[in-house]
Amino acid sequence: MRTRSFGAFAATSALVVLTTACGGGAADGQLGGSAGGAAAGQGQVYAQIAALPADQQRARAAQLAKQEGELSLYTSMTQDVADAVTKKFTDQFGIKISVFRGNSETVLQRVVQEGQARRLGADAVETNFREMVIMDQTWQLTGYTGAALARVKNTGKFAHWTATRFNLFLPAWNTDLIKPGQEPHSWEDLADPRYRGKITLEVSDSDWYENVTKWWLDHGKTQAQVDQLWAAIVANSKAAKGHTTMMELLGAGQTPIDAMNYSYITERAKNNGAPVSYRLIDGTNPTPAFARPNGVGMLSGARHPAAAWLFYDWMLTEGQQVLADLHLTPSTDVPGDTSLKGLTLAPFDVQSLTADTSTWDARYDAQLRGVAAVTR
Amino acid sequence: MTITAPPAPPTPRPLPPPESPLARIRRRLIPQVLLVGAAMLVVGYLAIVPLGYLVHDTFTGSSGISFSAFARAYGGDSQSGRMLLNSMGFALGSALLALSTGTVLAYVQVRTDVGFKGLLFAASMVPLIVPGILYAAAWIFLGDPSIGLINTLLLKPLTGASPVNVFSVWGMIWVQGLHLAPVAFLLMVAAFRMMDPSLEESAAMSGASRPTVLRRITLPLMRPALISAALLMFVQSLESFEVPGLLGLQNGIYVFTSRIYFVLRAYPIDYGAAGAYAIGLLAIAAAGVLMAGWLQRNARGFQTVTGKAFRPQLIQLGRARRWVGAGVIGYFVFTVVLPVGVLVYASLLKFYAAPSMAALRTMTLDNYAAVLHMPLAWTALRNSLYLGVGAATVVMLLAAVVSWVVVRTDLPGRRLLDLLAFTPIVIPGLVLGLALAFVYLRVPLPIYGTLAILLISYCTRYLPYGMRYASSAMTQMSRELEESATVCGASWPQTFRRVLVPLASSGILAGWVYILVVSFRELSSTILLYSPGNEVLSVLIWEQFENGQFTTLAAIGVCMVAILVGLVFLAYRLGARVGLLSNTAG
Repeated sequence: MRTRSFGAFAATSALVVLTTACGGGAADGQLGGSAGGAAAGQGQVYAQIAALPADQQRARAAQLAKQEGELSLYTSMTQDVADAVTKKFTDQFGIKISVFRGNSETVLQRVVQEGQARRLGADAVETNFREMVIMDQTWQLTGYTGAALARVKNTGKFAHWTATRFNLFLPAWNTDLIKPGQEPHSWEDLADPRYRGKITLEVSDSDWYENVTKWWLDHGKTQAQVDQLWAAIVANSKAAKGHTTMMELLGAGQTPIDAMNYSYITERAKNNGAPVSYRLIDGTNPTPAFARPNGVGMLSGARHPAAAWLFYDWMLTEGQQVLADLHLTPSTDVPGDTSLKGLTLAPFDVQSLTADTSTWDARYDAQLRGVAAVTR
Repeated sequence: MTITAPPAPPTPRPLPPPESPLARIRRRLIPQVLLVGAAMLVVGYLAIVPLGYLVHDTFTGSSGISFSAFARAYGGDSQSGRMLLNSMGFALGSALLALSTGTVLAYVQVRTDVGFKGLLFAASMVPLIVPGILYAAAWIFLGDPSIGLINTLLLKPLTGASPVNVFSVWGMIWVQGLHLAPVAFLLMVAAFRMMDPSLEESAAMSGASRPTVLRRITLPLMRPALISAALLMFVQSLESFEVPGLLGLQNGIYVFTSRIYFVLRAYPIDYGAAGAYAIGLLAIAAAGVLMAGWLQRNARGFQTVTGKAFRPQLIQLGRARRWVGAGVIGYFVFTVVLPVGVLVYASLLKFYAAPSMAALRTMTLDNYAAVLHMPLAWTALRNSLYLGVGAATVVMLLAAVVSWVVVRTDLPGRRLLDLLAFTPIVIPGLVLGLALAFVYLRVPLPIYGTLAILLISYCTRYLPYGMRYASSAMTQMSRELEESATVCGASWPQTFRRVLVPLASSGILAGWVYILVVSFRELSSTILLYSPGNEVLSVLIWEQFENGQFTTLAAIGVCMVAILVGLVFLAYRLGARVGLLSNTAG
C-alpha cells in the first residue's frame, strides 16, 4: 500500500516537472494570433449594431447575443449587487453571465494582463472610475452609441465607457456618539478641535483628498488655508484600512466619525440596524457630496461582443432600477430613487484624476504620515 | 569486459562480477539523480518565476541596469528606515511570543501526562484556521480602549481604568504572536516526538534537576526546529499587513509592508519599487537562512533519531499536573475562548454592538442560515479541499527530497537551493499572482483559468514552510539509518521511502497539516487567479467582507473553527495511528 502511494506521489511529482518545464520555455504568446484574428470579427459585430437605427439596435443585439449564448463580466460590484444584476439580466434574455468579482485594482490588472497576452477572458467590465479611465486610456474598450446614452447625466458620459452608478463621498457618524446638532456640516468642520481623536480616515482615499482640496481652492481658500485645514483634520484623526472595516467599527462605536465613507455602505449598515448615518436628523446634508462615477465598458476584443453590447445597454436602462432598489445611486433618473434627496451634489474632478492619480496618492500618503508640507 | 577479466582467486565469498564504472554509476545513481534532480528543478522553477518577474523590473531601467528603483523605494520622505525598524520590532516580538507559547504547548502536549490532550491539540490549532482579518477584528472588540469587552466588562468595573489597548505595538505583537503560535506548535510537536528521551534520562540520572535538563539538554536538541520556526514566523510577520493594517495604523504605527501596499495599489504598478522592497526583505530572510545553516553546522549534535529504539516517555507531572492543566486552560481562555466567543456572539447579531439587553434581543441564527444557503459554498469548500490537499502533498514531497539534499549531501549549490526555496515568503501575494498569470497566459496548456494555476500558486507560496518543516525533521535523523539501509542492499529510493520518509513523518505531516489549513485562507494571489466556476472558500470570505457583512463573516469563521476542532477531535477518538497524533492521545 505504502509502495503504491509512494509511486503515485512520484508520478505526481514527475507530472509537475513536465508541466512546469513546458511552462518555462513556452512563454512566447502562441495564442496571440488567433485572438488577434478574432478581434476583427468583434469589431464587425459592434459596427453592425451601431450602424442600425437606434430603435433597432437592442433587438439585433439581443438576437446576436442569444447566438453567442453567454457573457463574461469582470466587475467590482459587491456580491449582493452582482447577484441581483446577473439574475435579472439572465431572466430577461436567457443569457448566462459568468462573473469574475474582484476589487477594482484586481479587475484592472486582470484585464490588462489578459489584453497583453491577447487572451481576453472578459466581454464587459463594470468597475470604479479610476480603473475605467485606465482601461479607456490603454485602448481596451470600444465606444457605445446606443439610445440609452441619452438617459445618462452628462457627468456620467466618457469616451469609451459610461457611468452606471455614482459613489457618493460623505462623512458618516455614529448616531449614539454624535448627537443631533453635533454632526459635521461641511468638510471644513472635520478640522474642528471638538472632533479631536474622533475621526477615522481611510489610507487609500486619495481621490476624496483631491476633490476636497480642489473644492476648497475653487471656493476662495488659499493654498496655505487648505494646508492648515488638512493638517488640522489629520491631527483630529486616526487611520484605518478598508471602508467596510471602518463602517463595522463605526457601527460598533469604536470610532465616532468616518471622515469619508461611501454613502451606500453607510446606508446598508443603517438598514441592518447599525446606529450610523450620513444625513442630518432632517434627512439633508449640506456637505458637498462628490459623486464618483463607476461605469460599464465593452472590451474591444470581446468573445461575445453582442452580449457585451446588450449588457451595456441594459445596465443603462432596466439595470438602473436594480441598482436603485439596492440603495445605490443610479446614473440616470429612476422613479423612486431617493439616494440624492436632500444632498448637496458637487462635481467630481474628472479632469485632474484622469490626468494623474499617482501624484495624489503620494500626497495623501505623505499628508497622513505628516512627512511633507503638501503644496500644489 | 567481463570475458577478459582474469579468473578470480578462490575467496570465502565470491565477488560480484565487475562492471564498468559507468554502468555502476548508472545503476546506483539513476533513480536517485532523476528523482532528486527533478525535485530540485521543480523547486527552483517554482521559486524563480515570481522572483525573476520582480527582480527583472527592479534592476532594469529604460537604459540597461539601474538602481533608481531603490532610490524611489527608500529615498525621499518614504520613512522606510523608520518603518523597517517598526517592522523589525513587531516581527521580533511576534516571533518570540509565538515561539515561546508554541514550544511550551508542544512540550506539554507531547512530553507530559497533562489531561485533555485532544482538546489541547485542537485548541492550539484554532488560531490557524481563523482568517487574520477576523482574528484581528475579534481582538479589537476585546481590547479597544473604549469598547473592548476586556476593558468594559472586566477591568473598568474592577479598577476604574481601561488599561488594555490593542492599538499599540504590544497589542500588535500579542495578536500576531497568538495567530502565529500554531506554526511553532506544529513544528515543535513533531520535533519533540522525534526526540530520544534517553539523553534527558541520562542527565537526570547524573543528578541534573528538571529545569537543568530542559535548559541544557532538551532545548539545545530542539535547536533546528526552534530556528526554523523562528525564521518562518519572523519573516512572515515582516511581510504581513493584516494586523499592522488593522491595529497599527490607528496610532500611526506604519510598518514596512504599508510601503509595499502603497506601491501595489498604483497603476501601473511600480514593480521596481515593489521589487526593491521585496529585496530588502529578502536580504533579511537570506541572513536568517544562512544563520540557521550556520547554527546547525554541527549536524550530528541534533540527530536524535538514531538506530537505537526509543519510546518517548511521558513526564509524570505529579502534583504539578493540576497547575500545568490550569495554566493551559488559562492560556486557552485568553487565546481561543475569548476571540472565538466574540465571533460566536457577533455571528448571532445583524451588526456588531456591545452586549446589552437590546443587542441580546436582536439575536438570530440568520447568519448561519445565510452561510448554509450561499450558492457557491459547497463548490468552494470542495475546491479549497482539493487545493489544500494537493498543495500540501506536492509541497511536502518536494520539500522532503530537497531538504534531504540540503541537509545530507555535499552537493555544491545546496545552500543556494535552500535560500531559493525560501524566497517565495517575501514575494507579495499579488506579485506572485501577476507573475503566474503572466507566464501561464502565454502557455498553451489548460492552466490559466483553471484550478491548476491556483495549485501552482499555493505550492509556490507554501514551499518555504514545507522546506523548514521537512529540513528540521531531516536534521534530527542520524545518517547511520541510511547507511544501515544501504548496507542491507536497499537502493536510494527504497531507503528514502522506507526509512527516511516514515521516520521524518512527524515533521512532514506537521508541514502537511499546516499547508492544508492555511491554504484555506490564502487570498492575495487567489483573488487575481481564480476564475468563475472555480471559486474557493477564501474568495467567498472576501466577498462577505467586501459586502460589509462582518457578522456573516463571523458565522463562516465559527463554522470553520467548528469543522477543524471536530476533525481533530475525531482523529483522536478514532485513535489515528499517524505520526503527529500517535502516542499522544491521552
